[in-house]
Amino acid sequence: MDEAFRRKLFATFKIEAAEHIEAVAAGLRELRGAPGGAPPAEVIERLFREIHSMKGAARTVNMTHIEGVCRAMENIFAALKRQEIQPAPELLAVLQQALASLVRTLQDTGLEPEPAHVASLRDLAEALDETAGGRGPAAARETAPAGEGVSPAADVSSLTAGTIRIGKERLDRLLLQAEEMIAAKLVLGQHLADLRQLGSAVAAMKKGWDRLGRDRKAAARFFLTVEKESSAAASMRRLLQLLEEQAAAAAGLHHRLAEAAAAAERDRRSVAALVDNLLEDAKSASMQPFSALTGQMPGMVEELGRQEGKEVELRIRGAAIEIDRRILEELKDPFVHLLRNAVDHGIEPPAARREAGKPPAGRITIDVQPLAGKKIAVRVEDDGAGLDPERIRSGAVAGGLLTAEKAAALSPEEIPALIFRSGLSTSRIVTDISGRGLGLAILQDKVEKLGGAVSCQSTLGGGTRFLMTLPLSLATLRGVLVRIGEGLFVIPSLTLERVVRVRREEIRTVENRETISLAGQSLPLVPLRDVLELGPDPAPRGKSVRAVVLGSGRERIAFIVDEVRQEQEILIKDLGLQLQRVRNVAGSTILGSGQVVPVLNAADLMKSARRREWTPPPAAAAVEEVRRKSILVVEDSITARSLLKSILEGAGYLVTTAVDGLDGLTAIRSGHFDLVVSDVDMPRMNGFELTARIRGDRRFAELPVILVTALESQEDRERGIDVGADAYIVKSSFDQSNLLGTIGRLL
Amino acid sequence: MRKPKAGRPEKPPVDWQEMHRRLEAARERLARGWSPPPGERQRLLAARARALAQEAAPPKAGHEIEMVELLLDRERYGVESPLVNEVVPLREHTPIPCTPAFVLGIVNIRGRIVSLLDLKKFFGLPEKGLADRNRVVVLRGEGMEFGLLADAVLGTRRLLLEELQPGLPTLTGVRGEYLKGIAADGAILLDARKMLTDRAMVVREEVG
Repeated sequence: MDEAFRRKLFATFKIEAAEHIEAVAAGLRELRGAPGGAPPAEVIERLFREIHSMKGAARTVNMTHIEGVCRAMENIFAALKRQEIQPAPELLAVLQQALASLVRTLQDTGLEPEPAHVASLRDLAEALDETAGGRGPAAARETAPAGEGVSPAADVSSLTAGTIRIGKERLDRLLLQAEEMIAAKLVLGQHLADLRQLGSAVAAMKKGWDRLGRDRKAAARFFLTVEKESSAAASMRRLLQLLEEQAAAAAGLHHRLAEAAAAAERDRRSVAALVDNLLEDAKSASMQPFSALTGQMPGMVEELGRQEGKEVELRIRGAAIEIDRRILEELKDPFVHLLRNAVDHGIEPPAARREAGKPPAGRITIDVQPLAGKKIAVRVEDDGAGLDPERIRSGAVAGGLLTAEKAAALSPEEIPALIFRSGLSTSRIVTDISGRGLGLAILQDKVEKLGGAVSCQSTLGGGTRFLMTLPLSLATLRGVLVRIGEGLFVIPSLTLERVVRVRREEIRTVENRETISLAGQSLPLVPLRDVLELGPDPAPRGKSVRAVVLGSGRERIAFIVDEVRQEQEILIKDLGLQLQRVRNVAGSTILGSGQVVPVLNAADLMKSARRREWTPPPAAAAVEEVRRKSILVVEDSITARSLLKSILEGAGYLVTTAVDGLDGLTAIRSGHFDLVVSDVDMPRMNGFELTARIRGDRRFAELPVILVTALESQEDRERGIDVGADAYIVKSSFDQSNLLGTIGRLL
Repeated sequence: MRKPKAGRPEKPPVDWQEMHRRLEAARERLARGWSPPPGERQRLLAARARALAQEAAPPKAGHEIEMVELLLDRERYGVESPLVNEVVPLREHTPIPCTPAFVLGIVNIRGRIVSLLDLKKFFGLPEKGLADRNRVVVLRGEGMEFGLLADAVLGTRRLLLEELQPGLPTLTGVRGEYLKGIAADGAILLDARKMLTDRAMVVREEVG
């Protein structure tokens, strides 16, 4: 453990210890105020738990002297619990004094305990042990560094100075808003890109002016020296003057845009740094010690054991280590499940344990350790019966998870991994034989979603051990933007193993499925388009395909996409209240441009891909021979545009779209089209004007134009024909067949 | 609709005596601990029970509602005004794969994600012609929100519920239960409250 980390741990420990001490002091007061007779059991139970937790916390930070006193006090409370001793006023006074010593020690202690404290606390622990031994309250030896009658509660506050309590909801709101700031970062990035694009457009403009510089000068000379002064020469001089001004303006604009872009870049960088720091701080503010998760667990495990007629103890080490509260909350249910399993199926009944030569009381250990790289390792271990590899093997075969041969080939180390598998119909069977339920699949799912990993080791008769690595805080999610057709999708980077390009000849068909070979492993190759039910690919498969590999270990699948774009930070949003859970889609995110993009659910994609019926890829070669006709659709309504596009693509045409007449005209000039389908009523340039402009250009005189319009008066129809449209389709009577029929006639 | 504010009347002088009297009365009541005398309590409860019982009765004939009227493929549909949260232009929407056909996609309304429903597909009606669909009528209820796609929004109008006729046979088939009826002039009134509260409207699908 490095120094900084220990220091942080110790600061946390002080705060936690103060809370325990406060609670113990309150409990002692209650005991003192309690009427004679049997002491209130729940108060003693609480005292026991508090000091037990503090003991564990002290052990985490290596304060063995404090741990010793806690242990001794715990013993006293245990004796009180068993009613072996009574909470006599003298005993309470001794406990009170011990508490005061702890407070004093904590106040003075830095990272390294002082020898004097260590010695005096050792003595105190011994004195307390004698007390617990039933010899009645030993005359409190005057060894404790506490003065007479010091009230621990009064001093405890000094330990927690500089801390305040704050509601979870308020903290969560802050964190959420800090996360929303990521959007600001992305938007600034987009603005910067826009500005740069504008800059290069102006640069091109300036270049044009510069190229003409000599011509302008020559023309100016010519008109200055022209012999016969005329009004035409004067006009030309004015025109040249204007040209000079425009050239200077373009140069000025170019310069200012470059400056603006540089300023925007600086701002973007400083905002990015601010946002990152804010997020980091907001995250660290929502860190909580692991004990927040495990606090209630020792009692729960004991109780579960009692119900099963087993004696089980839960030990927790490293509970003071802090971790993102959201991670702890995610882990709560799976952890309870893990412990329940360990008690139910792991730990044997006392008789069986004795027979196996084990102590009658079973033990479950949770051990939390910091790792390098802002990670922690969590080990949950029981010393019970362990997993029976043969039963898991046969269960997996019976459940159809594996063939008998494959199961037999598994090494003993590979067997425990099977218990994380929840192959739908098979899960119940695996559950029954292993006794480790579906909860394990959930545990794995959650841990992996958090960016961690989990594995299991077990030996028959030697207990079971779950090893987890977890990040200390939830990283800002990153995602890779992929394109399929015209749709963009985000795949969370955590789930994406790699991006590959596969040549057509590398694709093999095995057992009726397409596979590729990657690092010696054969993995299924599945078009993401099919899994997402986006309909058949309008374009034939090229010489090579792009694929993203999802999953981990043995479970990897390569998904074909059309394009892989950049990786970026993303903030996951939901899909609205009506779309609570959608297959294969985890949520949405907003790009810097403001565009909303679905975020895919990798676990679902894997499941969907496994369930998918195999369909042979389209015979590409035949289609490639014929050049497909290309159509431009000009339409301002997004829905009408998409509908037209899908109808035309469905009919085998290559389709390009434009959002209005001007956009359409630009597309026509820069591309090659066999036909234009245009709306009439559009902003900037309407369909009539567009048609007229097309007809006005010799290059496109023969290009067929179909106007599709809501206007159905005879007058409009005539105007359409006047400007040179080849066909006129009224929207109200529109249907696929008359559009396709008309196109067929014109092409 | 909000009524125009009446002209502000001349501000009367503060009646301090009246205020003191009211404060005193309030203090007295507080001292009594808010418990009315036994007879009074019975009377209050009975009155409340009567009021509640009446609430459950069906709305009287002649009940008038206000609806937002929208145009879809030259047909007019009505949605009760109080359930319409806002109307926004549709610029761009994001189709979401693996959703039912009547879910057109999602839009971002000032940082909030809202799903879009296509009524034509929802009711299984044939789509006539090529329409514009560039308005979104956002409906909102308790824990539920979605947008209905429209070609245009015509405005609001009042309608007598008793004038409504039962739905057309063509509409009563698939999801006919989400229709309230048809107005004399042919506008189709949707049961937006039912659409907003019915669990069947919520998409919740796992792979498998």
